[in-house]
Amino acid sequence: MDLENEKIGPAYNAPDSYFKESESRLLQRLGIDINSPEAPAPKTEGIPPIEVLMKVDTSGIQKRARKQDPLTSKSVGVDKDVDSFGKVEIAPLTFTTNENPEWVNFSAISEETTGLGESLNITKVTYGDLLNPLTESAQSDSIESEIVRVETIEAASIITESREFAAVDVASTIIEDETAIEEVVLEEVVSETEVSEPQEEFVAESIVEEESTTPESIIIHEVPESVGLDELESYIAPINAPKAPIVEEVIVEEEPQTINLEAPPTAFAPIAGRQKESATPGWLGIAASLAAIVAAYFIWNAIQPPKVEEAMATELQQDEPTLIESPLDEPNSPKDTIPDGLQLVEPLIMGEMPKYKEPNVYSIIDAKEMPPRTKRALQDLEDNGLVTFDMEDEMFEELDFESL
Amino acid sequence: MSVNTANAKNMSETQRLQNLSEDELSVELVSTGVTASLFVEISRRYQQQIYYHCRNLLLSHDDADDAAQNTFIKVWQNANQFKGDSRLRTWVYRIATNESINLIRKRKPTIDFDEAQPEMADMITEDLYLSGDDIALKLQKALCYLPFKQKLVFTLRYFEDLSYEEIAVLTSTSEGSLKASYHHAVKKLEIYLSVLR
Repeated sequence: MDLENEKIGPAYNAPDSYFKESESRLLQRLGIDINSPEAPAPKTEGIPPIEVLMKVDTSGIQKRARKQDPLTSKSVGVDKDVDSFGKVEIAPLTFTTNENPEWVNFSAISEETTGLGESLNITKVTYGDLLNPLTESAQSDSIESEIVRVETIEAASIITESREFAAVDVASTIIEDETAIEEVVLEEVVSETEVSEPQEEFVAESIVEEESTTPESIIIHEVPESVGLDELESYIAPINAPKAPIVEEVIVEEEPQTINLEAPPTAFAPIAGRQKESATPGWLGIAASLAAIVAAYFIWNAIQPPKVEEAMATELQQDEPTLIESPLDEPNSPKDTIPDGLQLVEPLIMGEMPKYKEPNVYSIIDAKEMPPRTKRALQDLEDNGLVTFDMEDEMFEELDFESL
Repeated sequence: MSVNTANAKNMSETQRLQNLSEDELSVELVSTGVTASLFVEISRRYQQQIYYHCRNLLLSHDDADDAAQNTFIKVWQNANQFKGDSRLRTWVYRIATNESINLIRKRKPTIDFDEAQPEMADMITEDLYLSGDDIALKLQKALCYLPFKQKLVFTLRYFEDLSYEEIAVLTSTSEGSLKASYHHAVKKLEIYLSVLR
């Protein structure tokens, strides 16, 4: 079939009604009225810019860091609600480190050079202050004197007693008078231990009985750290209930902010606090190592050559003749060691296959700048089927209206 | 009274534009800019050609209709950018070709324009506005076995009667390579048609 000489018409034949309907639809989409003398101009500007009502001052806000470094920047999200003064409050940027805490030799720091205790002016807050904030100012002097007294008691040997219902050591001390001699009351003494570790945190509560006639007495109970404030009331229950004394509870708690300049048990202590012990029990590591040893044993046995099969093979070789006599008519040539698959590929490798020929397809990019003789020569080559000139690939670039 | 005068003026303007040749229409567009009456004249003059051109490339009536509509919308929006360096028909055809390519990419993002799309041949016999000519339908099916570039060149040359010069401007390709592509397309189509028979 000769397409050039036998002209074939189009396969599609849309009616005129479709084109009229399409035209009216197009004009409707563009908002063009043919009968209107004032037709709208094409909108080439696009979407108008949105007016900015209020600008938020973002100066000082750092852009998000792209790379995570050992110093992790942690910032609170910016509160975008503008306050009545029109200011945006930005929380300060804090930095934390992802690395292990550094270790500082506290013992190497002399007390004279630090002087932190004086410079920081640390004041202790007692539990009584929290319970009676209104009477704090009035009784501050007496409380301070009691705190001093409690510390004095603490420095001395405090006898603790263990109670069965709480299973804690409780040391009770009754001070009958401010200037009286300390009297240690032992209640159902099961075991007596002395508090020998002053660095451990403990909560001591003292019950001060103030009576006009009877001397003042303070009972200090040592409560373990795990006991919460809600359970603390059970410890401060008055021993002598019918007396119903005015109870003032003083909790002396070593706060974490308190700087202890004494040398730690070890010469080095971590800044970031005490490291938590691993939740994995120790026997798990031992079991894992044993399992690894067993697994290594089985793997070693698996990779060893089977001794029984080796022995059998040796016996068979001894039974059979070691040399098989080949027939005289067959050539006794050495066996080819190249596998069958490679033997097929070998002639190709050795160049026995005809050379691969690249198809003569060329791309002409600067056809306009090509001299006419060259064009004619190329056309002759193409007409004779010797070469094929491919089209350039610039056809599907983005439409550039200004280029036409 | 004033409305009748305006209508009469529009009628005369429309008639004047209808009598213009393509080159004169291009000059009118460049000199005075696009007006409603000028745009209506352009759309009426090239509407059918653009639809059939898009239909030959896209095969589906709905797709061709969308591409043709988008083509004239872009003509309306970008008419002021027409510099008159090329013929007006070439400019409109180029917009239509790009719209068709964009629609093909939208339908099938992974399409390779260097490869034929023979599976599209099934769409031809199931769509609207077919002429009913068997050999024409077979030619359309055979076109599906051509790469898109050859199909485009053959369609523009064979059905739309565009010159090689116009196609070269439209496709930003040299005339020599266009001729080669057209030649290869004709040879392949002849083979396909003989097989399809």
